[in-house]
Amino acid sequence: MPKLSRSDWYDLSRDTNWTFRYVSEDDVFPEDLSGSHRVATDGWLKWDEPYKVSYREYVHNQVTKDTTTYSLKNAISRSKVFDQLDPGWKSVILAHYGAITMPEYLASIGEARMGRFGRSAAWRNTATFGALDEVRHGQIQAFFPYGLLEKEPRGDWALKAFHTNNWIAIAVRSLFDDMFVANDAVSIALQLTFTLETGFTNLQFLGMAADAIDVGDLEFGALISSIQTDEARHAQQGEPTIKVLIENGHQEYGQFLIDHMFWRSWRAFALLTGLSMDYYTPLESRKMSFKEFIQDWVIKQFTEQFRDYGLDFPWYWDEFVKELDWYHHAIHTIIWNYRPTVWWNPDAGVSPAEREWLEEKYPGWNRTFGRHWDVITENVRNGDLIATYPATLPVACNICQLPIVRAAGVLTGAHTDPAPLTFVYEGRTYHFCSAPCKWIFTQRPDRFKGHKSITDRLLTGDINPPDVGGILAYMGLSEPEQGVDADNYAWAEET
Amino acid sequence: MAPLPITATFAGDIVTLAVLADDQDTAAQVADKIAFHVVGKRVAARNAPVKLRLGEQVLDPDQVFGTYAADSLPHVEAFFDE
Repeated sequence: MPKLSRSDWYDLSRDTNWTFRYVSEDDVFPEDLSGSHRVATDGWLKWDEPYKVSYREYVHNQVTKDTTTYSLKNAISRSKVFDQLDPGWKSVILAHYGAITMPEYLASIGEARMGRFGRSAAWRNTATFGALDEVRHGQIQAFFPYGLLEKEPRGDWALKAFHTNNWIAIAVRSLFDDMFVANDAVSIALQLTFTLETGFTNLQFLGMAADAIDVGDLEFGALISSIQTDEARHAQQGEPTIKVLIENGHQEYGQFLIDHMFWRSWRAFALLTGLSMDYYTPLESRKMSFKEFIQDWVIKQFTEQFRDYGLDFPWYWDEFVKELDWYHHAIHTIIWNYRPTVWWNPDAGVSPAEREWLEEKYPGWNRTFGRHWDVITENVRNGDLIATYPATLPVACNICQLPIVRAAGVLTGAHTDPAPLTFVYEGRTYHFCSAPCKWIFTQRPDRFKGHKSITDRLLTGDINPPDVGGILAYMGLSEPEQGVDADNYAWAEET
Repeated sequence: MAPLPITATFAGDIVTLAVLADDQDTAAQVADKIAFHVVGKRVAARNAPVKLRLGEQVLDPDQVFGTYAADSLPHVEAFFDE
């Protein structure tokens, strides 16, 4: 029997479109779930994924990846590799597992929504593979930290975090609910695959895998590489989707969705990757600063994406670029202060050598953020650790759910007004960290109203008693689970 | 006496805080409550009194804070008066 080449059968095999006779197109693809009605049915038929794979090939590839990765894990789990890792790097992977494992699993819901409500059969086919990818990512990132439990019990936050009211979990949950759990197929394609995956995480996973290998964490490196290759494939759903929108005169809507999610992705990225790259990764393993990474990879990637599709840079682009100099430094300082409220051990990352590196990468760091660490270091040296802990909550932004921080002395991007931005909607005052977060809320207030930030919960009596003990209990953190300084303050004694 | 939650920043600090004041507190007492979370913790202590700014207005330290703060969850900035 002659073997057909893929191009001879591929289009036919994935074409599951048919003409509906008993129901309307609108009934099959409700707008709330599909988000595709701006473009007529014929317009969606042009949707074509750049990377094609058959089910048989897909299964073969995935089995190979799983076999390799799980085998490596089995071999390494019998070694002392984890014990010998740098404490800061252990924090990188603990933070990652708690913040990312469940979202990977939830992303399968987003992919499945595109797999059911995407208007093109080709798209539904590609998204079905994406749903299988994300189930795998959820499972593998739950199983790997499970293997760490004997050495690091907080590996169970891979599953636990999303079932708590921990403030980081609230922030990440809010982001991913917005991005894919409570989103329509078109928006998911543009916000999850085009913006987050193509623009941020696909690149981040490449760098993170390399860093993991460099610090000796072969297990995590193999895991991340295995995931990245799936992401590189299913992330491509965004491109044909924006192309269809643009060809049918809806560039402005596509731009809105991308602008919305680029900012939210940036916020989460600064929190997780910014701290990891500039403070938690051992100095000798840092290949570039977070700012350099964003400039060289993320900005370059988006510049090409925007150019290729005739899109504009988001209206807040200047503010985003300025924030590269200060935002994640402020967040890091606060996370370290509030270390009992997170499930990993924040690495201060401010030994003399590290401060020198920070000053080189971020000229002026010692003058701006360093002065806060001077006070903290002095308290540690004097044995006054109580002074390094918080006694109240920061005010969290009602969009990104992260503390409202300021540049404090950094001239570029410094906020001139000390008061947070606010917006009154249906009698309630919402607080925002930045103009883009306020813009996201005000564009669609009904989408975001009603949600309570961690600060709202404190002030409206959800957290009882409204003190540090009550806050930690509300966040699901028993004493052994609470973060401590990753290096047991050794950095403060170095001169 | 009634709890009066406020959002607060301290000049030179990097984060906006939720602070629980009392509507009968004087402005000086509220300033101390904000400074407690910041001064000597992230911002170096100075030999200067701490005052409060509500919008453009610097508050009289002896005045009862509740008489100024008509809004729910008002924002105030504390600062060293040097």
